[in-house]
Amino acid sequence: MATVRQGLGDHSGEAPASSLFVRQRRRGVKVASGLPWILPALALCVGLIYYCIGYTGLISTWNWDGISPNPQHVGFGNYTQLFHDPLFWGAVRHTVVFFAVTFTVQTFLGLTFAVLLHSRIRLAVVYKVIIFIPVVLAPAIMAPVFRSMLAPGGQFNEVLHDVGLGSLAQPWIGQTSTALPALMAITVWQFTGFTFVLYYAAMSQIDQSVLEAARLDGAGNFKVITRIVWPSVAGTTFALATLSVIGALKTFDIPWLVTQAGPDYATNFFGTYIYQEIIQLDNVGYGAALSIVLLMIAVIFGVVLQLWRSRRALS
Amino acid sequence: MMFEVSKRWKRALLQVVVTIMVLPYLFPIIVMLQGSLAGEGFENYKAVAEVPGFARFFINSAIISVSVIALVYGCAMLASYGFAKLRLFGREVYFWMLLDCLTLPEVVLLAPLFTTDQKLNLYNTYWAVILPLAALQIPFAVLLTRNFISGLPDELFEAVRVDGGGPVLTFRHLIIPLTRPIAAAVIIFTLIAAWNDYLMPLVFEQATNMQTITLVPQFFIGEFNDDQTKILASAVVTAIPEIVAYLGLQRLFERGLTAGAVK
Repeated sequence: MATVRQGLGDHSGEAPASSLFVRQRRRGVKVASGLPWILPALALCVGLIYYCIGYTGLISTWNWDGISPNPQHVGFGNYTQLFHDPLFWGAVRHTVVFFAVTFTVQTFLGLTFAVLLHSRIRLAVVYKVIIFIPVVLAPAIMAPVFRSMLAPGGQFNEVLHDVGLGSLAQPWIGQTSTALPALMAITVWQFTGFTFVLYYAAMSQIDQSVLEAARLDGAGNFKVITRIVWPSVAGTTFALATLSVIGALKTFDIPWLVTQAGPDYATNFFGTYIYQEIIQLDNVGYGAALSIVLLMIAVIFGVVLQLWRSRRALS
Repeated sequence: MMFEVSKRWKRALLQVVVTIMVLPYLFPIIVMLQGSLAGEGFENYKAVAEVPGFARFFINSAIISVSVIALVYGCAMLASYGFAKLRLFGREVYFWMLLDCLTLPEVVLLAPLFTTDQKLNLYNTYWAVILPLAALQIPFAVLLTRNFISGLPDELFEAVRVDGGGPVLTFRHLIIPLTRPIAAAVIIFTLIAAWNDYLMPLVFEQATNMQTITLVPQFFIGEFNDDQTKILASAVVTAIPEIVAYLGLQRLFERGLTAGAVK
């Protein structure tokens, strides 16, 4: 199988399709063309999205309020303005911190829950449901709950008082020092369930006999996890890293609804910044330039992660 | 077993540890329920239900979600069959064109859709939200289903072909029934994305009678002038359909995810 795949120059790792192709050719029976089958998806997805990207690129060279029939052409003016914009760099910084922290914490928690719930725990289903419920709840719907919970007189500070940590109570979302960490905590709360189910599913596919063999050789829990489980779920970690990057880049609902990108822009992200520029301030041209930069960052990250993965697959 | 504990007291300790770890996940839900019942108790819920047009938000969200799911399911199944089991020149090129869309933050679509919708009079229609949401969800759905269909044994497909069955027949009698587990995962992911989306309806559904459930809390903040208890009651009411849908589909979902695990 491996040689067939290499012969075809197909490194996608999809053995069945390519081998089928080869086999059918050998027998002289022609497999139907797949093109008409993929057309609806391509038309809707690629059509709409690539059209929007092209159009955004065009608008990004205008100074435009979104309505006027004669936009002023400014070339790369919006882009040069952007590189001198402290709010833009603030959004970049928040996005990087946000990704690094939420991804690390979620990976750790998701993996831990997946490992523990794969062991002999009673009522595992109950735990699974509790961890996953935040995933299905809309951030927009939970936002008022978190606003109330993290307010100076909110339930979180009350609990701190109750457990004797009253000195730690503070206006979590009302001050620049804790607003971003609070939003990261909300995000971790929301998406650990997603990380968890993917790891849980990936772990179900680990060959039990390998684990047993390792244990017979005297490997303890820690060794089994670091040497066998962690490497076998690397593909899932990669997928989650990709999704986390995208998630950080498109963060909008939570910072917008919980902190309004504030206080003093401490929780301003690309999403909130672009929304403000395009919808609230009518700087559609500038917002479009921000969008294009955001898109380029997303694509660069996508390529870097892909290269990292293919190099890992080769080694 | 990923994690083995043999002694009974250690097992009990593990149970306690997991319970403590899960508590923070429960906390906001408890705050939400408790807060919604504070003050006037169930009267809060009555007040929420009596706000005119409240049902409208639900119906709008349902219409949008069902349409997005239908579009995504249809497009993804057809495309994944084409990608996984049919002859396709430039297969990976097309696939990457689709997957590239996966990295697209929806806010990038704002400026062009804003102006295009105004030109085509799509503003304040369901389509203004349905089409971009479906376009954004299709890549992930194709990724999941393609993996799944690739894993189906080729012999099945050959058998149908030897009997003279064309691709349409194969699709109807093999793909549709065999992909049920992964279809459940696609439906749930799409449902979550469509039902929970906030930005698209916020921008493209400005008319009150077109707004969706995610805009409800904001609506109630205006309506109840920051009466927290009623705002939280509205959060509970809007969260219920999602929790019910998840609990109902939970088993199927897990099976589908395991079968098509993102590797």
